[in-house]
Amino acid sequence: MIAFLVAVVVILSVCFLVSVRSCRLKLDSESYGTEQGTSGPLGWEYLMSEVSPRIFDREDSNFLATETSRQVTRRFRRERTRLALDWIRIVRSRVNQLMRVHLGASRKNSDLKPADEVRVWFEFFLFQLTSGILYLVIWICGPARAADLVEYFLELVGQLRRMTQDILPSGYETAAELIRTGQESRAETR
Amino acid sequence: MHSELKHEHVEAARRDLVNRTLSKMQGDFARLIYLASMRDYNTSCYHHDGLARMFTEDIAARAIACCHREVFERLVLLPLKGLVEQLELYAASNCSTSLELVRTWERLQPYRVTVPLECSRLPARLFVSNITAALAVLQARQLRTRPERQSASPDQ
Repeated sequence: MIAFLVAVVVILSVCFLVSVRSCRLKLDSESYGTEQGTSGPLGWEYLMSEVSPRIFDREDSNFLATETSRQVTRRFRRERTRLALDWIRIVRSRVNQLMRVHLGASRKNSDLKPADEVRVWFEFFLFQLTSGILYLVIWICGPARAADLVEYFLELVGQLRRMTQDILPSGYETAAELIRTGQESRAETR
Repeated sequence: MHSELKHEHVEAARRDLVNRTLSKMQGDFARLIYLASMRDYNTSCYHHDGLARMFTEDIAARAIACCHREVFERLVLLPLKGLVEQLELYAASNCSTSLELVRTWERLQPYRVTVPLECSRLPARLFVSNITAALAVLQARQLRTRPERQSASPDQ
């Protein structure tokens, strides 16, 4: 029981830390205008579907271990871990943005179905929990060991996007628009 | 209607660039370097006189940007093993040895300026990280083959 409580506290602390770092990442991006874009050909969708398998792929690391020194492989694994952790922060920050817009839209909606809302927020809670666990796994074991959990994490993200889109299409479109204009304004400041 | 028409022109310009120029190059690295070299460092606009004469300056720039994105995307998603092969191919097609390429690229890091403008930071970082690793592999291979070559030579 105590071990379970400790695990919950650790995961919640990690979730909190990741949230704080995501906020900082967002602030950095706003002040410098150089952080990751979210839409467009090399943006959000690309980041989710194409880039993530590459970051979490263990083949590269194994190949490097057979070809180069231990030092080079270690450096490469450290860099991949940093990339994977940043990837989680980016995904979290986008999902948080989506949920903020969904909350705003659902407040204005007169035909709101409480059961649907409960489902969405439960899914969001699961997403937060999974991202905390994933962050811990990557930090401790490296991205290659987290590949299976990443698949589940991506499924949750997809499910959340579908649910928010089905319940409040206008809210989802606003979120997508916000994400798009966010990227455009960043591109203009570059 | 107008945008559709424009899209058709861009597509035609893209096909022209691929068929006449890019398909004749060996490997995606040579293509990436070529496409990135057509971009102005200050304005980030692409220039290609021949293509601009055939179409318009704007359409040519869009077509080059499109090709640049495609080639970059292919290279980012390539496993490290494939990237090493691409680098070797690039070194061979540019009449330089892999060691020469490694030395120059480690110092100048020219691959950093080959990232398309609209690319988000994470894929760009993944690309740079993969190139650094691929260069390390090339260097390690060279170091392994050099003593072998020296011992095989009768003068040594």
